[in-house]
Order: sequence, then C-alpha cells, then structure tokens
Amino acid sequence: MTRRLPFLLNRSSRSSRRAMVAGTVTGVIALALAGTACSPVEPAGNDGDGATQSAGDQDVFGDPADPAQVKQGGTLTVALSADPDKLDPSLSRSLYSRYVFHTMCEKLYDLGPDAKVVPQLATALPKISADGLSLTIPLKQGVKFADGGTLDSNAVKVSINRGLTIAGSGRKSELGPITSIETPDPNTVVIKLSKPFAPLTAALADRAGMVLSPAAVAKLGANFSTAPVCVGPFKFASRVAQNSIKVVKDPLYYDAAKVHLDAIEYRIITDSSIRSANLKSGDAQIADSLSTQDAPQLQKDTTMTVLQSQSLGYQGLTVNVANANGVGNPLKQLETPIAKDPRVRQALALSIDREALVKSIFNGLNTVACSPISPKSEFTSDAAQVCPPHDPAKAKQLLADAGVPTPYKVSMITSNNPDSLRLAQALQAMVKDGGFELEIKPVEYASLLDQQDRGDFELLQLGWSGRVDPDANIYNFVGSEGSQNVAGYSNPEVDKLLTDARQATDQAQRIKLYGDVVTKLQQGDALIYMYRQRNLTGVSKKVLGVRTYPDGVIRTAFAGFAK
Amino acid sequence: MDFVRRYLLNRLWQSVVTLILATIVVFAGVRALPGDPALALAGEDRDPESLRAIRQQYGLDQSWIVQFWQFVSHAVRGDLGQSIRTGEPVRTMITGALPVTIELSVLAILIASLIGVGAGVVAAVRRGRPAEWAANALALLGLSVPNFWLGLMAILYLSVALGLFPASGFVPFFTNPAANLHHLILPAVILGTGLAAVIMRQTRSSMLDALSADYIRTAEAKGLPPKAVIGKHALRNSLIVVITIVGLQLGALISGAVVTERIFALPGFGKLTVDAVFQRDYPVIQAVVLVTATAYIVINLLVDLLYSVIDPRIRVRGDA
Repeated sequence: MTRRLPFLLNRSSRSSRRAMVAGTVTGVIALALAGTACSPVEPAGNDGDGATQSAGDQDVFGDPADPAQVKQGGTLTVALSADPDKLDPSLSRSLYSRYVFHTMCEKLYDLGPDAKVVPQLATALPKISADGLSLTIPLKQGVKFADGGTLDSNAVKVSINRGLTIAGSGRKSELGPITSIETPDPNTVVIKLSKPFAPLTAALADRAGMVLSPAAVAKLGANFSTAPVCVGPFKFASRVAQNSIKVVKDPLYYDAAKVHLDAIEYRIITDSSIRSANLKSGDAQIADSLSTQDAPQLQKDTTMTVLQSQSLGYQGLTVNVANANGVGNPLKQLETPIAKDPRVRQALALSIDREALVKSIFNGLNTVACSPISPKSEFTSDAAQVCPPHDPAKAKQLLADAGVPTPYKVSMITSNNPDSLRLAQALQAMVKDGGFELEIKPVEYASLLDQQDRGDFELLQLGWSGRVDPDANIYNFVGSEGSQNVAGYSNPEVDKLLTDARQATDQAQRIKLYGDVVTKLQQGDALIYMYRQRNLTGVSKKVLGVRTYPDGVIRTAFAGFAK
Repeated sequence: MDFVRRYLLNRLWQSVVTLILATIVVFAGVRALPGDPALALAGEDRDPESLRAIRQQYGLDQSWIVQFWQFVSHAVRGDLGQSIRTGEPVRTMITGALPVTIELSVLAILIASLIGVGAGVVAAVRRGRPAEWAANALALLGLSVPNFWLGLMAILYLSVALGLFPASGFVPFFTNPAANLHHLILPAVILGTGLAAVIMRQTRSSMLDALSADYIRTAEAKGLPPKAVIGKHALRNSLIVVITIVGLQLGALISGAVVTERIFALPGFGKLTVDAVFQRDYPVIQAVVLVTATAYIVINLLVDLLYSVIDPRIRVRGDA
C-alpha cells in the first residue's frame, strides 16, 4: 500500500477531498432544499387524488368486523401518506394525527357514517339550555385512562381548559366563546358560553373533545406529545422520527373485548405509488389517499377492497380580492379587473366545466362542487347545492361587459405535486374558451401557504379537507374576520348570515341560513368551488372491520385479521 | 515535532472556522426559504393568532442574531433542541437515524465493491469480448438509471410480484439481525448501483494498466498461473485506486441515501433531513447539518493526519 501512497497524498488529491467534503455537505443541503420543490408537507385533502371505477357517488365505508370471523392478535400496518405532527390533541393540526388519535384518544363525541354526531365518552348528546349559553354533558362511568387513572368531569375540564389556554393551541378557535367549565359531579360537565355557539358539539367530536389523562398532563406539560395518555382501545408505544408510530392494545380500555389486534403500526410512505406497492406486497394492510392511477388496479384485485368516502371539504380557486397587506391585516382593494369586478370572477367561474374536470382528471370519482356544503352534510339544502352551468359564451360576454380585453391573462399559484399540476393544466385549457389566459405558477406547499397568507397571488388553487359543521368550512375562509380569509373578501351580508347561523340553535334555521350564504357567495365568487374529493383507502381483505367515514379518518381500532 | 503541532493547531482552527461558516450558511439558508415552521406546522388549520403563538413559543419572533446565539449556545452544550413539528428531542432523532444510514451505506459499499470489482476484473481480462461489452453496458445502466425509478421497479418486481424482500420498514440490527439484513439488502443494492458502476469502470481501467505493466509480464514469465497473476498482482495493485474512488464517492452515496430511504421508508438520516426541510423544522435541519459538517471535518482531519503518519514523504507544513 505504502508504495502507492504518494498518489493519494499530493496536494491536488487533498484539495479534491476537501472539495468532496464541501461538495457533499452542500450537496446534501442542496438536495434537501431542492427537494422542497418536489412534494408538499401536507397536501390538502388527498393530494388531489380521487378516482377509480365508475362508482359515481357511491360511498364504501366498510363494515364492522364479525367477531366470529376475526382472530385475536397481530400487528396491523397502515401506510400513511404524511407524517402526523405532535401527538397532542391540544396542539395537533394535521389530519394524519387524527388517524392515530382515533385509536388512542377517544372523544366526548364521535361521528357516525352518516356524518352525524354520536356519543363516545359521553352517554348522550349535550343538553343545550334554551338560551344556548350552557351545554350539559353526561359522562360514561368506569372508564380508565391508559395510565390507570379514572375518567371524570375534572379530566374533561382539564383537557378543554388546556385546549383553550396552551400556547400554540390548535383548539382555541374551535372551542369558541367558552367562559367556564363546571363539574357539578364526577360524571357531569357543564360548559358555559358567553354567546351561543352551535359548532361546539361538532368540535367536541374531534380533537377538541379528546380527554387527556390529567396525571400525564401534569407530568409532561407541553411535552405531552412525547408520551400521550388518553382513553382508547390502544395506547401509545413508540415513535420513530419521520418514519413510524406504534400503538399497542390497552388492557384497561372499557371495551377491550372488542379489540382484536395487538398493535397498529403507522408507517409513513409519502409516495402514493410506493404506498400502493406496499399494500400489494403485504408489507402494509391499509394505505390511505390512493391515487387515481393506482386505485382502479387495486379495485380489480380480488384480495383488496377500496373504501371510499366523499370529503366534507372542497377544492377551489381563491381570487385575491383585497388581501394586499397579508391575512389578518386591514383589507385593501386590489386594482386588477378580477379583484375589482365580480363579473370577471363570475366569468371565470362560468368558464370552468366542473363535470368534465371531474371526469377527465379524476375518472369521475370526485364530485362536482359549487359550494362549501357537501351534499352528504346534514346541513345541505337545494340552495346549498345550486350549481351555475358551464357557459363560456356568457363568460366572454361578461368580460366584454366589464370592459376587459380578451384573452385576459391571470396567474394562478398551485401546489407542485403532479396531481395539482394536472388539474392546473386542465383548467388552463378549459378557461381559454371563456376568454382567460391562465398562467400556472407551481409552488412547494409550505411556500404556497406563505404566499397565500402574504397575499402574493392573483389566483390560488387549494382546498380544505372539511369539517362536520359548515361553520368550520365557511366562516374562516369568507367571513370578513375569518382567520384564513386569504381572498380578502368582505361582505357584510355574508358576515351577518354566518354569525346568525353560528348562534342559531334550531337546525332548520341554520340550514336555511347556510343556503342563503351559498347564494351570496356565488354572487361574489371570491372563492370558486370546483369539486369535492373522495377519500380512497386501500385495504387488504386479510383485514376485517376497517372503516372510513366522511371525516376522512380511517377507523382501525376494532379491526382484526381474518381467520 | 514543532511543525506537526503547528500544523495540527492550524487544521483545528480551520475546522472550527469551517464549522461556524457551515452553521451560519445553513441557519441563514433555511430562513431564506419562503414559509416558516409555524406555517408548515399549522398547515390548513392556521390562524394569525396561533401562528403568532407558535412563533413566540419557539423564539421565531426573535431576531436572527438572537436565534443563532440561542442555537449555538445550546448546541455547544450538546442540546440540539426539540423538533418543532413533533416535539421530540433532536438529539434522539439524530442518534436514532444515523446508525440506519451508516449501516445502509456500509452495506451499499460492500455490495457495490463486490459487483464493481468483479465486473471490472472480468471486463479487463476479457477485453474486447462479449463479457466486457456486457459489463460496460451494465455500468452505463448503473450510472444512468435514477435510484428512484430503480427502487420503484425493485419494489414492484422483487417485493410485490415475487415477495422476496420487504417493500418498506426497518428492524434494528440488535433486535433481529436476520430481519435487519432482509429489510436493508434491497435498499443497499439500489443505493450501491451507481457506485458499483463507478467501481467497475475504475477497476477495469486500473486492471488494464496493471496487466500491461512489466511486473505482470515477469510474473507470467515466471510461470505463475493466470489466477495468481490477476488476483495476487494485478488486482491487488489496482485496488488502491479503487479504494480511493470509493472514498471519494462516499459523499455521493450519503446524498443518494436521501432518495433510497424515502422509497423504502427507512428511518435514516437522509429522510430525516429532507422531511425536516419540507416541514421547515429549523432545529432539525440545523442540527443535521451541524452533525454532518462536524463528521466530515473530523474525518478529513484524521485522514490528513494519518497520511502524514503513514508516509514521511508528505511534507507537512503549517500552512498546508
């Protein structure tokens, strides 16, 4: 060796080694940074996928497992399309954390397959006082946390108060105007409000309604996510950063006899093709957010089932009307024709052939949407489902009336994942007939959020994954004070209707008010709703009892391997 | 010995400066990206109030200088902070991910060396014959085909169709060595493909040089069997160059691990880095780069020192 060493040791080789070092360090960084242009942190909904078969509007939620056909034990592997954030119900904001929470953190209320709220840790729906300022919630008795503590009204109080007060809370706005929480006895919680807030019950059927072990909260404080303890069929076991989360069966769970699996491992696989491949190879038994390319194949596979549920959210186009100073700051009308003149926005809406879009891009599985209220919602109405027809000739006429020369050039920012780009290209071709020239600006997801909050866009293609109560799907986006009113839209009539709907305790009245909101929104067209996604989940037939509901959460807690 | 001490001090000083520069560049670089951890964390569920609260909680509302000082002052005490996205200690994340990437890289080098050296020797010995053409074609393929595509194909054919290897997942070596290798073998082959091609070409060229050298002619004239001439003499001398190439390719290999780890859902260092960038998880990105840069600087320093120990002909100067 030594004979050849001089070759290794000359100055140029040393400097080339240094160059290699520098090159590699910068290479790793550059690769990582360049990677930001490749895929989103967390796609809105199911990354634009939908698809398969001509199943049309048919939901396939899955069936409960027949105990006689299920064997005890085994570890279920779920391929998740994105890494959940903090496993802390008060702080979590990611849809994917809800998949994990559902197995280990039960809520006061849950959703049924019909998107209706049903009791979970409560024994009945809340009793709301006549003035709408007080909600009384009766609790289940004999329920144990995974650490052995007993669930009582104090634990609920601790959990809700934590959601209201902890720094960086993701629950504060969902919980609304709560003034106090009373615990008249260990099994009753009374929530007091400063003004009626109808969306609260639905919020308690999500993370805001999860009950945390007070002992674990006291011990871990803001680090609760490192070892979360709640009530659930499973309890937290381990987490490998960016890679996997494991939960194991909790013997203390009040309905432990219904739990068949020993453990569930959530494995993060961001690429949809690789997720499907893992499902086919048997390395995972469940894969979420199937792509339009993969779902038809899986449906033909006799060893697989594809569960489908229509999202309560939507995908749409947001027009920047008056977001010149960034969201949350005073609105300032932009001077572009599309921002100033509702006729131009209407023209754009009329240029979009939603039916064709859904058929050509999503194989007919996603559904046309013209409003923020899903036809599957219990708040739907005829007025909420009115859809202006595709009419490019009228669009051109409206542009002419508005004095806008055609083709009118507008730019649109969109997420840079392949599905969003396909959608953008289809839109580009489509709106040409209506007199628009659409310029596509693909942006990485976190940058997209930054640009939209700063108001640095003309048009924006993004969606919302949807919540049960319509207020959560509308108010924040088009209310003048909405926290995500990135369009800078302000319409006092819409604001009044939304506030009335928030405070109304009568469901029929709320349905009517939301119908009126949709009518007004379609006149303003600051947010042009286009389609509703379908949550597609691939499940191996070796597993029984996996279910999905309209909230998009994959329910695996009571699943089991077939005998 | 005086100049050795001087050299050492000089190198140490250079290393510290390089480390500080790398830290500053990355610190500023990640902050120059659009969006921030609060925005990435809040995702679609965000409002100005909670964004403010998150920024305040993690000190992101402080000036860059204050943030940098906080990071550095904690880092020198071994505290790399907490992940903004998951709340986990960054040190735990790194110590968990690093062994996976090291094992993957070592396996990839072993596999690449076996394939590359074997094919290179065959190509050199069978020069101008179909065996050489086949080896060259394979090398070209190995260099041209992207890891991502190759990984996907391997999963589709070897995992899905034939069920030979797991398509994802990881088992720690000390938990179950057999399962660990079973999970890593496919990613290691994919990762090693490019390197195998480089090694093959280098081996072939070095072998051709060696085979035409005088000492080989002498060995043959002495009546040594061809196996001994090739294995003991020609290959042995050719490998020195090959080893150097492997060393130079190490960086590229670790960069390649980023892609491979994502395809096979391996909890490695590369995946940690990329995901942290997507999520604008500043503490993780900074710590990952700090650890990488430190590792390279230390290895570089050690290698340079080792050279001077091994070969006295190296002129070690204080300004080297």
